[in-house]
Amino acid sequence: MKILLVMERRVNAGSIQAAANYVRVGAEMGHEIAVYGRSDPAFPHLRCSIDVERFDYVLFIVESRLDWMTGLNLSRIVVRVPRSRRAVLDADGMYNRVVVVNGYDRNHPSERDRERWLGFYDELGDRVLQPTPEPLESRVSPLLFYGYDPASRVAGNGDGAKRFDIVHVGHNWWRWQEVGNHLLPSIERLRSRIGKIGFLGLWWDATPPWAARLGLEAAFQLDLERLRRLDIEVHPPVPYLEVIPAMSMGRINLMTQRPLLRHLGLTTSKYFEIFCADTIPLLMLTASEAERVYGAAGRELALDGNLDQKLIDVLDRPAVYQELVEEVRGHLLAHHSYRRRVQELVSALAD
Amino acid sequence: MKFLFVNDLARFARSTYTIAKYVEIGRELGHEIAVFGEQHPEVRLPHSLDVKKFDFALFVVHIPSDFPDLPYLARLLDEIPKERRVIIDCLGRFNDTVRVERDFNHLEKLDGHQDREWVEGFQAVSDLILQPTPRPLRSDVRPFLFHAFDPAAVLRSYQSPQEAARVWAGSNGNAKRYGLVYVGNNWQRWTQMRPFLENLEPLREEIGPMLIAGWDWDRRPQWDIELGLHAADVDRALLARVGVETQEAVPFDTVTPLMSQARFSPIFHRPLFNHLSLVTNRTFETFCADTIPLLMLPEDVVDSIYGADARPLVPCDDVAGRLKDMLRRPEFYWEAVMRTRAHLAQHHSFQQRFKELTSILADEERAGVVTTDNRTHGRS
Repeated sequence: MKILLVMERRVNAGSIQAAANYVRVGAEMGHEIAVYGRSDPAFPHLRCSIDVERFDYVLFIVESRLDWMTGLNLSRIVVRVPRSRRAVLDADGMYNRVVVVNGYDRNHPSERDRERWLGFYDELGDRVLQPTPEPLESRVSPLLFYGYDPASRVAGNGDGAKRFDIVHVGHNWWRWQEVGNHLLPSIERLRSRIGKIGFLGLWWDATPPWAARLGLEAAFQLDLERLRRLDIEVHPPVPYLEVIPAMSMGRINLMTQRPLLRHLGLTTSKYFEIFCADTIPLLMLTASEAERVYGAAGRELALDGNLDQKLIDVLDRPAVYQELVEEVRGHLLAHHSYRRRVQELVSALAD
Repeated sequence: MKFLFVNDLARFARSTYTIAKYVEIGRELGHEIAVFGEQHPEVRLPHSLDVKKFDFALFVVHIPSDFPDLPYLARLLDEIPKERRVIIDCLGRFNDTVRVERDFNHLEKLDGHQDREWVEGFQAVSDLILQPTPRPLRSDVRPFLFHAFDPAAVLRSYQSPQEAARVWAGSNGNAKRYGLVYVGNNWQRWTQMRPFLENLEPLREEIGPMLIAGWDWDRRPQWDIELGLHAADVDRALLARVGVETQEAVPFDTVTPLMSQARFSPIFHRPLFNHLSLVTNRTFETFCADTIPLLMLPEDVVDSIYGADARPLVPCDDVAGRLKDMLRRPEFYWEAVMRTRAHLAQHHSFQQRFKELTSILADEERAGVVTTDNRTHGRS
């Protein structure tokens, strides 16, 4: 099958890692998968094309913005590719009723905004897919989409030496409630027992100047002074090809997710790429959420109300947790490989 | 006829003035004209989403967002057949990539679109592409100047050049506030603006206060620096030396009054436009202001648009010398302005444009490219 992925290509955010895996693994399986656009050295080895008619299906991967898709390109695509051959991956759960989680994270600021999104999606493609096993809306079909790539695994250098004890790779986008209310208090209590800590990503150093204008202050909430007090190093984001090596700089990697995505059961690239890194992932999920994706061993890696104890235990007894990580990797290989994801995508589109 | 304009209306830029004139004068001529979409919060023109009631959708395209988003786009494509969609390509996008000095018709790093996407996007929407130039480069483009002159919008009419010159010189006690006003955004203008101002520098006392109104004249914007475009260059020191004030852009419906506050108003076309012979709303609108337009344009453009009587308004390479002469004997130049207005009224009125447009549509209908039969629908 020939599939064209139309998406906002961001080198350090979004679904680009997944798209690169679809291109590569799809080719291994005899499918031609490409990303819309011109070849770009920032995305090496990523097959790109704007020949929309050459493809059997077009899959729009939409996150939390629509404005990267201009009317000019939409005109070209919707006229040339019949609606029955167009589908939408709704990565951020916009195709839902208005959902507000803990009075904090939300998919839409208003009912009017929701109507605009749904109207857009309804015209964009025949099918709407969400990376969750259980979509809430009847029009939406489940497609986990993101997967695990064993070929991306980074092997340890054997000496166990790491630049950081704890690393967090991800942008400060709807994260502060979890970081500020749960993670930082634990670090405050344990700081003397933990070595260097690094946060890599956008907006850990400052709130973007346009956040207030867009009514998004809550999404970028930050207490930089508190991070400084805890001697947490803040570093810029890394390109998608360097995410796994960057994660591998830490003995522990913390995985946080937007509250909205957790609430809707939506997976992301991060769920899987963190297990490609040479690190021990600790998951800021409930034990049952972790088990749903990672299998039984995942429960032991969840920071479910036991942060202090778990952080220290991992630093003290890494070998025990390395075994759990290997067990999870086995589970991911069996259930969430990109080979499997490509098959699921092909089936979903052909269905 | 019933025409539906499709355009991302901007209060401070692009073709909003021209579209507003089509609405106003079209109504007088018995046409029904509206702009597609929900009511614009700042531009009080009639809007409509009821696309089926219109004979033609006229896409006026400058930038990618002139094509609406979904679901509105789908409504246009589904309910107005391709034969009744027309594109007016204001920036020569429907061409191979053209580079003139630092100007261009496509630049992917600026708006994310390759040349092919422009051409194929246009072809997907319509088979009838019009460009506001007398000489399109492509054989599958028809010339249609689109922008036009409205004699009724001339801010102040005079019985004679002598009367105009008297008022203009302020001999009735009402001197103009500015010697020169230029209204336009700082985009691909500096290569012409710089030598123009340098020429005027020795004359700054005689001319009087000068004003440039538009976006980004106070400094080169950061995005232009980051993209390395040099499309919005500006030299603050030169502006200061010549005594030029700058101010932010003004709304489309206040441009003529602002230009009328000056004795002179230059008309520049960006390098790309000069190369493609594209005209703009300002080409015509400046002649509605109570000012002497300075035609900083190629002679062939002047002759083909304004007629031979406009030649005295072309300073050529001696801007300072020509302005001195205008100050010395304004009657002569006001005669040129008045004759040119008459030429524009005869050949380039909005009434004339409606005739040209309906004639093009009739031609194309005979050739089977368009149809006025609005019973056929479907995206194709």
